[in-house]
Amino acid sequence: MASNSEEGESSADYETMMSTSDVELLKRAWRNEKAAPEILQYEGALVQRAKEQIELVEETIDDYVENGIDPLVVSLYQMDLDRTQFLLRSYLRVRLLKIEKFMFHNLKSEEAERQLSEQEKVFATRCADDLAKHFEESVLLKLPENYQSVLKQSLISEVDDMVPQPHLDTFVVCKSKNFVSLNLYEEGESPETVEMERGDLYFIRYKIVKGAIESGQIDLI
Amino acid sequence: MYGRKGYQLVKDFASGEKGQLKPFNSKLFDETIEECDQNHHLIQSLIRKMQQEGLDVQNNRNADHYGALIHHLSLIRNKRCLMAYVYNRAEIVRDLAWRVGLELLDLPSDIQGKLTTLEKDYFKNHSVALKSYMGKVGIELNVDMVPPKDPYIKVRILDDIDEGIVLSDKTTNFARHSMHFLKRTDAEPYIARGQMKELTD
Amino acid sequence: MAGQTDPHISLFSPQEIEFMAEDELVEIVPNMNMEQLNFISGDFGRFIPQIPTKVPLWLAVALKRRGKCTFRPPGWMSVDNLTQILEAERESQSTFQALPFSYVEIARLLIDHARDDIPDMFMVRSLVEDIRDVRLHKLETNLGSFQGTSAVKISNVSAMEVNIVRPFVRRALEAFYKHDKPEADVDRDTRSSRQQREANNEPRRPLRQR
Repeated sequence: MASNSEEGESSADYETMMSTSDVELLKRAWRNEKAAPEILQYEGALVQRAKEQIELVEETIDDYVENGIDPLVVSLYQMDLDRTQFLLRSYLRVRLLKIEKFMFHNLKSEEAERQLSEQEKVFATRCADDLAKHFEESVLLKLPENYQSVLKQSLISEVDDMVPQPHLDTFVVCKSKNFVSLNLYEEGESPETVEMERGDLYFIRYKIVKGAIESGQIDLI
Repeated sequence: MYGRKGYQLVKDFASGEKGQLKPFNSKLFDETIEECDQNHHLIQSLIRKMQQEGLDVQNNRNADHYGALIHHLSLIRNKRCLMAYVYNRAEIVRDLAWRVGLELLDLPSDIQGKLTTLEKDYFKNHSVALKSYMGKVGIELNVDMVPPKDPYIKVRILDDIDEGIVLSDKTTNFARHSMHFLKRTDAEPYIARGQMKELTD
Repeated sequence: MAGQTDPHISLFSPQEIEFMAEDELVEIVPNMNMEQLNFISGDFGRFIPQIPTKVPLWLAVALKRRGKCTFRPPGWMSVDNLTQILEAERESQSTFQALPFSYVEIARLLIDHARDDIPDMFMVRSLVEDIRDVRLHKLETNLGSFQGTSAVKISNVSAMEVNIVRPFVRRALEAFYKHDKPEADVDRDTRSSRQQREANNEPRRPLRQR
């Protein structure tokens, strides 16, 4: 029942060349999502495969029970199922919590929107609408006219200065899967690099490793 | 008067226990709004004054301009305080939906009593959004919040239990002092009645 | 502030750390026959009496509790090895000895569920606790001396230690980082009155008259 990873990532990654179970991938996705300050790319294919495998095992367990298979064996399959379900639920839940936390930001930023699934986008929109309505009715409509915007402090604000955003300079802990060399500073500044060997652990600014996480070279812990 | 009420409002929120709701402080809230109104009136009267003096309101920089600026900044500060108050309470409301339940009636009555009508509406709307998402994805997300453990436990029988106990996976007779490996959910009622005792490994 | 102190999102609970550790492979010796288990998480077995096999820790514990196997404690968990490690930890103020990433959880689960399979169990337990204490203390003292503002390598630190120390190190490094950079990026404030930053200071106010 363990299925090979169907990840088509190009990086010659030692681990993806071995068969990585979907549970392993799900665990990685959950861990990354929990540790990253912003929302990451939705792993749609992985979620779909996990759901299918869960359904399959649920049916198998029902069959086993009907056919009087040793309850010991059944209980072990159930435990494996429970663990997978927990991972899947946690993964989706952490993402929803992030959407709730950065409601307005996610809808304003094109990049953030791209990371969401279709259903998450719907959820995000509803969330924002609900909160905006709540703000309007509780506060904004009671304020003087030029101060009624949800996103701006007042009419004369040039930008949406009331939208909380994820802090991309947060320090995260990461582990590299292979040797990787990263720029420590943004362009223009003195090019200093950090070189990570396979298995090294680093406390590092999220911004620096963001790209490497997306491409699967680095995991967050 | 300059942002004072807003400050008190935020302090009132911060004085509560983290993650817990206090009753909505309508008095302070309304007073803060009132302060905003006052700021606004004063801004307008200062503008009028500058206009009557024939000054270019947009670019003029005299004492009145700076006076109006101070009122504007105070107003904005109060606005941020008001929004922070509502926002932080809304965060707790969302957290309640996750942890306690998605129906308003799931919430204990003392918590319900601390919510305003608007907050109850917000709770309901947010719950609907969550339920809708979960329905579409086909997975319940507000369950299973802690990692699963082995559903079976070891128990020792304390009393003679005469009738065969019907368990979810077998039927057995249980003699006193015997030890068995049962599903926690099956054993719980007997443990609660003192007929069985859980053994730690 | 956002996301850093929120327990839901960023930090792992001890149960979650243990959950992840439970996937580590350990060696067991079955005392029964059982077909291969085709789990979603992988294929394990088949199980033949007296033939050692590797399974995830959670499965090993489940089998042990059901009386179906004994454990073969991992090599690193011997009294000799742990004693050496403890000495080495005490000797160096700044480096950490190599231990499995989840050594705390693995040791705890084995001690809790398979004490009879561990030679000198009490000694092992006490050594692991001491090692854990020495390492934690080392981490805390080294917090202040983390040099460099963008990246800090932490070799051989384990999962539990990372999780405990994470919030402290974050704050320390972020404080360094802010002081190091000449201009902080324009901080987008959360809706808190504690941060008062106006995006514009000289208003061109199109305020309407009433």
